Amino acid sequence: MAEPLSALSNPLVTPDQLTTTSSQLDGILADLEASLRFTGAQLTQAAGILLHLPQELIVQAIVLFYRFYVGSEGGSFLINSVQDVSAACIYLVAKPSFHPQPPRSVLNVYAYLTSSVSPLRSNFDQVSSEKPDPKSYYVSEGEYISRRSTLLQTESIVLRAISFTTQVKAPHTLALTYLQTLSVLPNPPTDKSKALARRTLEHLNTALFSPQLLYLTHQPNGLAIAAIYLAAREVGQKLTAGEWWEVFDVDREELGFLVVGLGSVEGWVKKEMEERGADGRLMVTVKDVEEELARRRKEEGAGTNNVED
Amino acid sequence: MDKRQHPSSFQQLEKLGEGTYATVFKGRNRQTGELVALKEINLDSEEGTPSTAIREISLMKELKHENIVSLYDVIHTENKLMLVFEYMDKDLKKYMDSRGNQGALDQFTVKSFMHQLLQGIAFCHENRVLHRDLKPQNLLINSKMQLKLGDFGLARAFGIPVNTFSNEVVTLWYRAPDVLLGSRTYNTSIDIWSAGCIMAEMYTGRPLFPGTTNDDQLQKIFRLMGTPSERSWPGISQFPEYKPTAQNYFTQDLRIILPTVDSAGMDLLTRMLQLRPEMRISAKDALNHPWFRDVNNQMRPGQSSQQQQQQQMVAQQQQQQAQQQLHAQQVQRQQQQQQQQMMMAGQQTGPGQPGYGMPTYQ
Ligand SMILES: Nc1ncnc2c1ncn2[C@@H]1O[C@H](COP(=O)(O)OP(=O)(O)OP(=O)(O)O)[C@@H](O)[C@H]1O
Ligand SMILES: [Mg+2]
Repeated sequence: MAEPLSALSNPLVTPDQLTTTSSQLDGILADLEASLRFTGAQLTQAAGILLHLPQELIVQAIVLFYRFYVGSEGGSFLINSVQDVSAACIYLVAKPSFHPQPPRSVLNVYAYLTSSVSPLRSNFDQVSSEKPDPKSYYVSEGEYISRRSTLLQTESIVLRAISFTTQVKAPHTLALTYLQTLSVLPNPPTDKSKALARRTLEHLNTALFSPQLLYLTHQPNGLAIAAIYLAAREVGQKLTAGEWWEVFDVDREELGFLVVGLGSVEGWVKKEMEERGADGRLMVTVKDVEEELARRRKEEGAGTNNVED
Repeated sequence: MDKRQHPSSFQQLEKLGEGTYATVFKGRNRQTGELVALKEINLDSEEGTPSTAIREISLMKELKHENIVSLYDVIHTENKLMLVFEYMDKDLKKYMDSRGNQGALDQFTVKSFMHQLLQGIAFCHENRVLHRDLKPQNLLINSKMQLKLGDFGLARAFGIPVNTFSNEVVTLWYRAPDVLLGSRTYNTSIDIWSAGCIMAEMYTGRPLFPGTTNDDQLQKIFRLMGTPSERSWPGISQFPEYKPTAQNYFTQDLRIILPTVDSAGMDLLTRMLQLRPEMRISAKDALNHPWFRDVNNQMRPGQSSQQQQQQQMVAQQQQQQAQQQLHAQQVQRQQQQQQQQMMMAGQQTGPGQPGYGMPTYQ
């Protein structure tokens, strides 16, 4: 069957794929799953930045990371680790782009980001002034060969699981087009219009970390409109009276849902960060996840008697 | 597409063709008896899945059109990928060699193939995909005389304007002069140049500009189309590969080498073979060219006007988007650079969000 023009849309996941995942079937509860997704998204973003990748590619890699772990046919955090899948997503997204990265660069960056001196481990309130020791994330030649083989193998596994659906339309450019259509981006820009554009983009970037996986459940136009709605409210920019979002094919219900969803991400992220910040734990390997599951079982066992495994 | 097939679901028959990164076999679906084309791609031990395969599969999954060859399935084996395509009788090169009069095709066939080629191209461009490697070997013909675009290994999704493209694309003979001059900001017009070269080749059976090197290719083009100057092509001297030549050719009359092309056909061809990319006709406009009047009249009432309006709106949106893209990139790059510096210093900026975002914690 011919599909409609897809230039401005993404394939979306079904509610079923969101609630029934391989990880959950493997005994990972939804809250731990959300933490692992967040860790992966954060790791992917940090790697993309260190590799000088444009944001468009970073967004693409994070969305692929999410797509991989969704659905009962998708990947499980107990089989394919956060760090392997994140690295594979970055690698395979960069490869056909204008910024291809050799496996060596990708693996070096991941070695650093998952090492004991990783900036991702520190509590974001305490800025460390120590220079990281390069020895703590050095990848030897032998180690490199074996990691590269894991990287390429994981690339295959990811491509297969998402059946090569690697295209991702990010809502960022669309949002700026919409702002222009709404005649709120004058030329030359004013302080207010600059703030409006910046806040809109910030909201879209924040949405990327939503535990509700908003980028997988909503089309770019919906995300763009919700971000504009929030940003306009914050900077006090009046938009056309009436239900202006309808012009962009977004109905009130979807907008309402997204505004609430977007609005809650910051708080959720902060909580996640605080929980991690306490002991600098970063769950990026399968072993990390197994240990966390064991820890949780023990805690439960201590709390309630007669809990059987 | 998602139902997992096994390699053994297909009986492998004779080899159909060989490209730079793949071998294509004829195949038969053991269950249904249907003929297919099996494109086998080896996975590289150092790079993994070739970028050509990632591009081709991800784009072809989205591009469903009667003038684009259908991708039915992808089968993974340990060290190979097998793409299952709709079976086509031969590529245009082989078709011309077998059917034509010393490779030349009759006017009716040329027009029908050009119309189908441009429809395929227009669909790609509407969906923001550049093919980038149009040549007779990559156009496939079936027994119903349908022409379909194949081999999307070099194709790219684009946001307009496209810059920083590698200029190592498109087989030399069909490569646009702006690309040969080292332009890295090319767009949909490169596919139109290739289409023009293919149209001329269908009439004569011989490639229009069979260059051997980048310079030779440019010279062959200029010898026919005239050597451009700063006056006929403002900015030409700024191109990386631009070399002022001793030889200044005048524009030749294309009718001399293409005597069988009628005047409407010649008009269209000239509009496709413009040296300056911005002067080249778009695929959509080309389809409405008077040369196709008889084809268009024959066609069923066709697209509803609603469909056309919708496409127009999408096109407008894309154009606006293009204007905004630069702006967006600037804003984002600034943010990114800041974050990068902080990351390198082992610091973090927001709640674990070294990127763009986190409004309140900065
Ligand atoms: N669906 C098909 N039906 C019949 N023949 C086909 C089909 N697809 C490809 N072929 C034949 O195989 C040849 C090579 O295919 P294709 O161009 O896809 O491979 P490639 O390795 O990408 O080539 P290139 O060297 O242009 O990159 C074609 O020129 C054509 O002759
Ligand atoms: Mg080919």
